[in-house]
Amino acid sequence: MLKTKKIKQNAPVVPVLIWIGFLVGVPLIYVLALSFLSRDHLGNVVLEFTLDNYKRVVDPVYLKVFYSSFLLAALTGLITLLIGYPVAYFTANLESKKRSLAIILIILPFWISSLLRTYGWIILLGNTGLINNMLLKLNIIQQPLNMMYHFGTVLVGTTYMLIPFMIIAVFNSVGKLDRSLLEASYDLGASKWKTFFNITLPLTVPGIAGGFTLVFIPSLGMYFISDLLGGGMTIFLGNVINTQATRGRNKPLAAAFSVGMIVLVLIVLFIYSRVIRDKKEGLFL
Amino acid sequence: MQAPLLQLRTINKYYGRSHILKDISFDIMDGEFLTLLGPSGCGKTTILRCIAGLEDINSGDILLKGRSIKDLAPNKRNVNTVFQNYALFPHLNVYDNVAYGPRVKKSMSEKELRKRVADVMELVQMSGYEERMPHQLSGGQRQRIAIARALINEPDILLLDEPLGALDLKLRKYMQTELAQLQKQTKTTFVYVTHDQEEALNMSDRIVVISEGELQQMGSPREIYNTPANLFVADFIGDRNIKKVQLLEKNQEYCKVMLGRSIIDIKCSECVEGPYSTGETTILAIHMDKMRISCDEIPNSLSGEVRLIHYAGSQIRTEVDVDGEIITVVEYQRNNCDYEIGDKVSVSWEESGAVLLPMEEDAGESNA
Repeated sequence: MLKTKKIKQNAPVVPVLIWIGFLVGVPLIYVLALSFLSRDHLGNVVLEFTLDNYKRVVDPVYLKVFYSSFLLAALTGLITLLIGYPVAYFTANLESKKRSLAIILIILPFWISSLLRTYGWIILLGNTGLINNMLLKLNIIQQPLNMMYHFGTVLVGTTYMLIPFMIIAVFNSVGKLDRSLLEASYDLGASKWKTFFNITLPLTVPGIAGGFTLVFIPSLGMYFISDLLGGGMTIFLGNVINTQATRGRNKPLAAAFSVGMIVLVLIVLFIYSRVIRDKKEGLFL
Repeated sequence: MQAPLLQLRTINKYYGRSHILKDISFDIMDGEFLTLLGPSGCGKTTILRCIAGLEDINSGDILLKGRSIKDLAPNKRNVNTVFQNYALFPHLNVYDNVAYGPRVKKSMSEKELRKRVADVMELVQMSGYEERMPHQLSGGQRQRIAIARALINEPDILLLDEPLGALDLKLRKYMQTELAQLQKQTKTTFVYVTHDQEEALNMSDRIVVISEGELQQMGSPREIYNTPANLFVADFIGDRNIKKVQLLEKNQEYCKVMLGRSIIDIKCSECVEGPYSTGETTILAIHMDKMRISCDEIPNSLSGEVRLIHYAGSQIRTEVDVDGEIITVVEYQRNNCDYEIGDKVSVSWEESGAVLLPMEEDAGESNA
């Protein structure tokens, strides 16, 4: 009796579970299983258990790849925060008509292919690009500046690509802020700056943490940006996975790297959930 | 006479094209409990925010201890606000909330601060709650912390914006007494905003009645209640029967007026000086709870027929039809007379309960 009732109650969840199972669960299990398998000399996957893939993942050469990927993602998060926070803050404080327009302008670039937008940076930064041409014509420099194919170039690309996520996340957080808290702070004698650091900033930490997560995770996998702007000079996780899965003909190794990336993401999500939980108890800052 | 603590001088405030405050002028004396009373949207909260510095004024001046503060930022004015929703900082515990003011102003050492926080926490009877977070407190407790957070700064004036609005009836009554006591104890000047006339009448030394951005009347609760300056105040404060009457005669002692077919004398010194002359239509306003119903004919009363008897708790509300005009009488007990619906009765009232007021252009809009 009771059991059938329970089944009836949970019935609407079943399609969702099947959906998630197919789209998330099955691929994840596939990747996990693949990472423990071997390949033959032609690159075909063979059903033979091995830990070799993981041994290669923790090889110092590849650990460096993890490190540079982590550095790229963390710096992208930090820079998008530093540039995006003021933008989000002022946007959220605009009157409603201007605010909607500003949000549309922030989202607008999403309507153009991200590949095209990355090529745009080559036109700007390349040796015969806009910036170099202009500086040469103005006789400020004699030799074109070598701005392409650095770690920094990739960082510019990921920052540019992902900054809207940070802006939107912080924007929502600032928008939810109770204005009377800021007024109470002024009223109690705090200047605008002190109010910002004592009230606004701590109360928008969930937005900052959310934005950071939204930026950090995709910047680990945007291999086309490091391909186009980095020219393969610095190797990131996304590139390794891409290369091993395609040209390298080593899907099990690619899967092992993917698992490594998932672990990295889980660590960030764990930190994120801790920050949010502490926020609720008011212990942060 | 002592100089006023705060002076508002012909303050005008616009939001876009709408005129929110119209030539508001009044003084606040040191140590008094002053209430700004009016219906919602009348501009009373805006006045409070102008004093706090959270709103700019378009013209006029605000003087605190004789010095203009209108161009000072809110953090430079020695006034503090208890906000309607309390506005406690949700990420700080009670101690840090209360300590916020002195800390941002760096006005005392942490050691001194601990003692001050302990003092104000005791004052609002919240000692022992220092470690709690705001969301762990009840509405009444939050309110006490909001008051403590403001009082620790020893403001010249404490501004309170409908602080009891969110509390239930019982707690509200209790907090009224508490607030009045706290005000006497700390000798702090309170400016209190409310739309609740009972709160205003119970707690205040003086009341400023405001409607549509204009000051209607200023005076002690007794003055406001008994001698309203105009129709708005008469209608807003207390429950009154408000009727148009014909002024037949006026002399040094009374005014003779006609309501329906009844002719009655209104005895009050103010009516005689009123700006209306014989033959004009004026407004008669009588407190419902200062009226009596008798079964016998009595002189100087209105005679009519009982239309409706409604028992509302301790009150008996009776509607009497006097020549087509409905007069509502509120009694707490029957006076020597058992009337039923349809009976002929006489309605009389205490002299202090009735006032005559001049007609106003928009008098038709009141519930006369």
